[in-house]
Amino acid sequence: MKTEIADKRWVKKYPELGTEPVSGVSCISADYFERERELIFRRSWLNVGTAWEIPEPGDYFVRELEVCNASILVMRGRDKQVRAFHNVCSHRGNKLVADGRGQCRGYLTCNFHSWSYDNNGQLKWVPDESNFHDLNRAEYGLTPVATEVWNGFVFINLDPNPREDLITYLDGVAERVKGGDFDKMALAQCCKFDEKANWKIGIDAQNEIYHVPFQHRYIIPDRFIVNEGNFTRIQDVTFFGRHSLYTCEMNPAHKPVPMEQLIAGLDRAPTRTRMPMTSEFDFYLIFPNFVLIFFRGANNDLCLTYNFWPLAVDRTMWEARTYLPPPANASERLVQEFICTRLRIVLDEDAAGHETVHAGMATRAKKNILFQDEEIQLRHFHKVVEDHVQLVEN
Amino acid sequence: MESEKSVLPVSFFELEPLAHWALATEQERMTARESSTWEELQTFYGAMMPRMTAIIEYLNRFPLNDMPADARRLLLMALSVVEVSIATELYRQPKSFNAFDRARIEIGENL
Repeated sequence: MKTEIADKRWVKKYPELGTEPVSGVSCISADYFERERELIFRRSWLNVGTAWEIPEPGDYFVRELEVCNASILVMRGRDKQVRAFHNVCSHRGNKLVADGRGQCRGYLTCNFHSWSYDNNGQLKWVPDESNFHDLNRAEYGLTPVATEVWNGFVFINLDPNPREDLITYLDGVAERVKGGDFDKMALAQCCKFDEKANWKIGIDAQNEIYHVPFQHRYIIPDRFIVNEGNFTRIQDVTFFGRHSLYTCEMNPAHKPVPMEQLIAGLDRAPTRTRMPMTSEFDFYLIFPNFVLIFFRGANNDLCLTYNFWPLAVDRTMWEARTYLPPPANASERLVQEFICTRLRIVLDEDAAGHETVHAGMATRAKKNILFQDEEIQLRHFHKVVEDHVQLVEN
Repeated sequence: MESEKSVLPVSFFELEPLAHWALATEQERMTARESSTWEELQTFYGAMMPRMTAIIEYLNRFPLNDMPADARRLLLMALSVVEVSIATELYRQPKSFNAFDRARIEIGENL
């Protein structure tokens, strides 16, 4: 049977992505997951946090990267530079910092034998040093990890010799996301979901609007524009190498509930933040597992990030962070609460959905999954994953 | 300046029986909504909503991070109304539908 694609814009724009069903095995195969670890996560630039969290020299945080079996220490040095290191002592391989975040005013000291490192990662003190055999401290600093900061977002690459720098890796995204008020943003909320689902199922579910009026029919039934055949049509889909962007407009006929009317009527300070947006809702998937979303706000634009951290083929830590300028008064605090609580409910429904999709796919009742034209960005994502994982066979 | 000893600023004294809704974190406010009865939510929402404009006007007189204790309590109650309205305005029951397992979710401002 001939497929009618006359009104299907995106496949016309990107015919190379095809229209075929896509195999679902990549989301449930343990073997596939092992290949993703090596061929995607150990070689890609990964967002591990923001430079805003570590404003002062000596500020640090630790990011456990289970998917790469790595523990990464991200620290601002006394020269203000943000660097990442393997969080492992040079002496006997002990983990240096237990977990979390902190301030290294003087030295970071290993709990085992007190080997001490400064905030630039240099080994500064070794107890009973002269009893070692020709120990040259300069050679035994913390092992550096390739680190770059883009718009305040800290990326690391576990490849000892990354094949491209971050800006090259980001491709056209770096060109597009330029000049926003990122330095005025602060973390307003973080939600972490420890999901029984494959990481790609989570990304797929977030990377389209098609589900919104159904899965989120109570919390945001009419938030996005309804513009063709009673469905939302995205404004644009653009691919930048491995990465993708889709944009959408909000519904001008959206009916606010009483709390939303109250919030909309509050006095607020003048606009302080604008994000570099091309529409009213911009959704970037920065391969492999980082999502950057901008919402146009009445006053301040909102920045939302997702990190999908694979823990196993069927387990993912989904971290969602909302950034807004810090509220200056009670009105702004209520606006923030309104945004964060509504968003939390949406994410909560999404996270529950990721698990039911995984459970369904794990039954292997369906060999393939289907993508419609408005889900072409998912098709692109699966192709990029497949292209990386195929490399192992060559 | 209102008395530090009163639970709420005097102009909002009638809301004092609901002061247990002055909860410090989003996680606590969510848990309170989900563990309350429909009647309790309606009572709180019904008492607070008509006063919200006056409450916010009053609270805007103070710096957000340096409020007297009674005003701070009132602010936290106002934040709870935002949470509770999810139930009273949208789901028409204390809990949202299709929620994720509460034992495997963490909500915070510094995670």
